[in-house]
Amino acid sequence: MRKLLVIGLDCATPELVFDRWLDSLPNIKKLTQKGIYGKLRSTIPPITVPAWTAMMTSHDPGMLGFYGFRNRKSYGYDDLYFANANYVKAKTVWNYLSRNRLKSLVMGVPQTYPPKPLNGAMITCFLAPNKEVQYTYPDDLKYELDKAADGNYIIDVEDFRTNEKSELLKSIYLMTERRFKAFRYLYKKDSYDFAMVVEMGIDRIHHAFWRFFDKNHRLYEPGNPYENAIFDYYKMIDQEIGKTLELIDKDTSVLIVSDHGAKTMQGAICINEWLIKNGYLTLKEEPKKQTSLKMNMIDWERTKAWGEGGYYSRLFFNVKDREPQGIIPQENYESFREEIKKKLEAMTDEGGKCINTRALKPEEIYRECKNVPPDLVVYLGNLDWRSAGSVGTGSIYLYENDTGPDDANHAENGIIIWDLPKNKKETYSIYDIAPSILRYFGIEIPGEMIGESII
Amino acid sequence: MESSEKIGSWEAERMGSVIASEAKQSQNFITSHLPRFLPLATRYLINSKGGNLMKGFTLWFTGLSGSGKSTLSKKVEEILLERGMKVEILDGDVVRTNLSKGLGFSKEDRDTNIKRIGFVCHLLTRNDVVAISAAISPYREIRDYNRKLIGRFVEVFCKCPIPVLAERDIKGLYKKALKGEIQNFTGVSDPYEEPLNPEILIESDKENEEESVLKIIRTLELMGYVPSSGESEYSDEEEEKIKARLKDLGYI
Repeated sequence: MRKLLVIGLDCATPELVFDRWLDSLPNIKKLTQKGIYGKLRSTIPPITVPAWTAMMTSHDPGMLGFYGFRNRKSYGYDDLYFANANYVKAKTVWNYLSRNRLKSLVMGVPQTYPPKPLNGAMITCFLAPNKEVQYTYPDDLKYELDKAADGNYIIDVEDFRTNEKSELLKSIYLMTERRFKAFRYLYKKDSYDFAMVVEMGIDRIHHAFWRFFDKNHRLYEPGNPYENAIFDYYKMIDQEIGKTLELIDKDTSVLIVSDHGAKTMQGAICINEWLIKNGYLTLKEEPKKQTSLKMNMIDWERTKAWGEGGYYSRLFFNVKDREPQGIIPQENYESFREEIKKKLEAMTDEGGKCINTRALKPEEIYRECKNVPPDLVVYLGNLDWRSAGSVGTGSIYLYENDTGPDDANHAENGIIIWDLPKNKKETYSIYDIAPSILRYFGIEIPGEMIGESII
Repeated sequence: MESSEKIGSWEAERMGSVIASEAKQSQNFITSHLPRFLPLATRYLINSKGGNLMKGFTLWFTGLSGSGKSTLSKKVEEILLERGMKVEILDGDVVRTNLSKGLGFSKEDRDTNIKRIGFVCHLLTRNDVVAISAAISPYREIRDYNRKLIGRFVEVFCKCPIPVLAERDIKGLYKKALKGEIQNFTGVSDPYEEPLNPEILIESDKENEEESVLKIIRTLELMGYVPSSGESEYSDEEEEKIKARLKDLGYI
């Protein structure tokens, strides 16, 4: 019976894995030689939520009805919710496998909390608020995890914004080692047709340590003590993968994927400051110091748009008869959107150089737009810059992230390595993963999946 | 409030893109409207969720030919499998080609057939498999015999008036039966005794397939036979914690 092992490495970056370090990652290298490897094109936006769910359902974010971690529940001003597993209505790969009596082990896949029953076992993700809640299926599994992990099973690193980098580094290592230990324990203990583990450590280490190794980062200092932190961590991941591969039998195929990549972050654009400067957003009073934008600070009668912070930005318009105090007449919606899109795309850095921002219309990038989509999805400097939601910063440009230090932004391409297919392409699509997995198991690919099988 | 209408709108929301508060309201709605398809006798079970979960039970469909038993049983099977349960269907048409091969349609043969299905359901149920029977099973006495034998027994009555079934006539049997070309045809030339107290009532002339499936699953969840697909929301405190974490991580 064919089996599949999927190792997900959140944020693993093709430029690092394939172009720079492959020779130092013997286990990964061996897999690249057996089948195919390449870039895996992420979702728009290339963010953990919705990317992993898009990968596991072959639905785009518009079809899934969530456009990031936080989404608008209605057109009200402050009506946001966190898109956890309760909001995933599309069928995942393990839903189809369960229907076909195939057994799955699913560990750490983002947006699986709260856990849903399946044929097999599930340990959910960092959207679990703590370990007191039911974060595994079956529930009892959580009592076994600490033993399996050989210590406290760590859902995600705590205190990520610390300046104690050596402590942070230690806790990322600990989290990863224990996750792989627990995974191997569970994988060995039972027989699974499909097993998948997603490790978050690469994402965490990129964001926290990128400045120490990327010579193009403005804060890079040659000879700093963390110069090799990311490289060493990739080597450790490779070893963990090696130990895991010792467990598989000859009928098991191995797929390694990431949901997006990473690249150096130039800084943050204070999107709401930009909107204020361009006359689109008016506050009741000017903030005296840097503060996050609260909806009750906004003078809605003189506001046309506001934006969210994050690795990308989402813009929301204040539309008449749509938002509670909307002022943009509906008939002017499209012309307004064009106007602001043009201005965003002409945005420059402090030196006056265009940073190549992309402002995307949801209905043009998604097959459908369920729930409440943003009015524009904005890649500031094509993701070279992140979005800061704060106001009162005194400038549009911010070089320390408003929520703490952050060195890397997300890039649009993740990785794929699969020891099975033969037809090599340079870039694959994140939407092709779910149909390929179903094809692997001989399950008919449902029509609503938008990707295609690569096997 | 007209229940069938409300179930329709709940269904629409659920299948579309339900958002938290609406999901909660729906749940309240379904609980408050439970009696429509869940008789008094079984309602006390609702609070005993934990103990029942992942244990075997028998889901016994009964109803005339063409009333939706096989179709619904397959849909329910898919969902239960998806939720990690062990499931087997004993479909009347299939059983007559193996387990009950050679039996005819006399009362005696019919009773033997249904008792055999009941016996297999009993064996499966006590081994924590969900046994789904989808056979006409026309006689109340035999169904009740099986109910007693099995214990963990949920009866689904697929009710549909003969004129509607004859109009649909998916297998082309009603036309022949009404012309007298088929003898002993249940509901036409052979008796069908409706269940007096089914746990679940399906009216396929009044509800669509999705609504029926949802009604069955929801009832099984409320009775504690099937693990809920889970709609638990963050508490305010948890939500703040998640918000802080995601902010720290730079996601928002």
